[in-house]
Amino acid sequence: MQKPYSIEVSGLTKKFGEITAVNDVSFTVSEGEFFGFLGPNGAGKTTLIRILTTLLKPLTGKAVVSCCDVSEDPESIRQKIGVVPQAMTSDLDLTGYENMDIYGRFYSVPGRERKERIASLLDMVGLTNRAQDLVATYSGGMRRRLEIARALVHTPEVLFLDEPTLGLDPQSRRVVWEFIENFRAKNSLTIILSTHYMEEAESLCDRVAIIDAGKIIALDSPENLKAQIPGNDIIFLSLSDLSKADAVQTAVAKIPFVHKIQMEDNIMRVYVDNGAQNLPSLMEQVKESGETVSSVTIHRQSLEDVFIHYTGKSIRDEEAKKVSFLIGAGIPRTLGR
Amino acid sequence: MIKLLAVIERDMKKFMRNPVVILMSLMMPLLYLVILGNSFQGKFKGLPVAVVNQDSGTYAIRVMENLRALEAGTKTVNILYLKDRNKAVNGVRNGIYKAALVIPPDFSKRIVLSRKPEIGLFLDNTDNISAEAIRNAIGGSIRAIRQEYLPVREKLDEIYLRSTDLYSMVDYYQSLVPGVVIMAIFLGTMISGVFNLVMDKFLGINESYLLAPVSRGVIVLGLIISGLTITTITALAVFGISMLITGIPFSRGIDQGISIIIVVVLTTMALLSMMFVFLGRANHPRVVGIFSGFLNVIFFFPSGAVYPIESFPNWLKAFAKINPEAYAVHALKTILFKDAGFRIISSDILFLIAFTAIMMSLAIVTFKRTL
Repeated sequence: MQKPYSIEVSGLTKKFGEITAVNDVSFTVSEGEFFGFLGPNGAGKTTLIRILTTLLKPLTGKAVVSCCDVSEDPESIRQKIGVVPQAMTSDLDLTGYENMDIYGRFYSVPGRERKERIASLLDMVGLTNRAQDLVATYSGGMRRRLEIARALVHTPEVLFLDEPTLGLDPQSRRVVWEFIENFRAKNSLTIILSTHYMEEAESLCDRVAIIDAGKIIALDSPENLKAQIPGNDIIFLSLSDLSKADAVQTAVAKIPFVHKIQMEDNIMRVYVDNGAQNLPSLMEQVKESGETVSSVTIHRQSLEDVFIHYTGKSIRDEEAKKVSFLIGAGIPRTLGR
Repeated sequence: MIKLLAVIERDMKKFMRNPVVILMSLMMPLLYLVILGNSFQGKFKGLPVAVVNQDSGTYAIRVMENLRALEAGTKTVNILYLKDRNKAVNGVRNGIYKAALVIPPDFSKRIVLSRKPEIGLFLDNTDNISAEAIRNAIGGSIRAIRQEYLPVREKLDEIYLRSTDLYSMVDYYQSLVPGVVIMAIFLGTMISGVFNLVMDKFLGINESYLLAPVSRGVIVLGLIISGLTITTITALAVFGISMLITGIPFSRGIDQGISIIIVVVLTTMALLSMMFVFLGRANHPRVVGIFSGFLNVIFFFPSGAVYPIESFPNWLKAFAKINPEAYAVHALKTILFKDAGFRIISSDILFLIAFTAIMMSLAIVTFKRTL
């Protein structure tokens, strides 16, 4: 039997002036699912999450979160969801405990329950010892963990994490992932995560929606997404002489185990079956066409490759931010896509 | 209710962790009292006037005596004696003296002969206000030289104006106290209330507010109440301290105290709500800085705190009619200096209540609940 949906979105569109940040997006998320949005900066992930968390009103389309439609009853939705926004939103002038306590009161969590819950959540994120310190003294990773704990203080049905590990060092990132996984193992709740880290989406999510330019271009489990790409291994060849690149490409394309070739700068990506076994014969072909290769890497298919397969560009590509000449850069970008 | 208290507590805690700001909000209005008091000065003192006496007759001596009396008495002018007429006039031109007085050689003779005696007064009329003061002071003392020679007798047909002060003496500094308290209130509303919201927006932490199930009414009201608490406390402290400094007696008892608290609370509410309406949608603390600096001046000076509203041109009088600070100043002056009952300030109170109600509703309605 199909589990009931936690989120149902159909035909959702949002525009900022000329820019269409979210373009006719439809999807559903089942209860208890860990769902990921994967896409480069500016793809529309944050806008999508802000619509689902009632911070922005959609232009057209329908979005039902937990119980209600975002356009009809945002107040009830807010009570049922927990959100960790992309920007750090904990109060620097308050202690960790006070941040949690005041937030708990916003959600009308009764006194004793609130106390117990805060204690256990702080324990889970490893901040019990620092609970009475001002948040101003916390590191970025600690602040982030506090914010995740804060979003859970009222036992939400759906948890939204908007790029929770953005700007964290690899160690803190791992701590955050472990915490999210542990929490999920003990509690049943729906989690929506947006990220541009492939490994984050791959290791945490049940299903991933790949978003680019405001549209969902692929949606499936990480395994299925990877399976859809021909050639399960990729060989990266760094070419020394770009003038012969075309000749190499034609020669390599004729090899039967090669499925696809992509060029990005001087890197040639060759999608092959059984990379390790077929590497020598590939290299031979390249040598015959007179090209020298400065380095070779074999790489098992990851979501990044899936992303490139669907969007044709590496995730590092980023659009230039727009800054108003009238107001300058002084105003933080609250309407980031 | 729990949510409202949470909003208030959060805001208050954040403010209390900033003791420097609290201290400044106490100190600055008191400095206003000192600086404003000394820069506006009810009466002029020590204006430098060069005097050149070219006449040795009796009337010239009498004029000089009167000038010395002026210098010693009201201290309006500070007389410097010169010999050279040109030097004196040039001194005025160069800004060394505010005026030069020249008594010509034939002055006493012309008086005796009743031939239009003249004294030259060269004024630095670029400084309008002190020029006018000198003209009046010196004009008065010169006119007086002939009166003393009149036989001493009472003119029974002349009308004498007998003025009576209805209230106990109010000196210039004391009269500034209501204005200083209004300053303290304004300063408080600048650094609390809507400013905290704009600061949260600037730091990007208002998102957590908007994500929580708190209604806009609760957010606006919470911020205003916390600002009200902080501002009322600092304003009353400033009130007490400036009463001590200027020597206004606390003698009038509980009634006066309660009336003062009511006026201070209502004025604070009125200003906080008004600031919320103007700045609720600002995104940058700099906007608050510019705007509140401007508002401070345009509400404070036409409030009657320094200069009587009756002397304003009509358009400014009309503005004073809707200026909450004008009502507050009137109410405070009435309570402090006239020892009047609550009934006399009831129209001020009513205006402040109506103003607050309108501004608060506007603040809530215009508050944007989304990003």
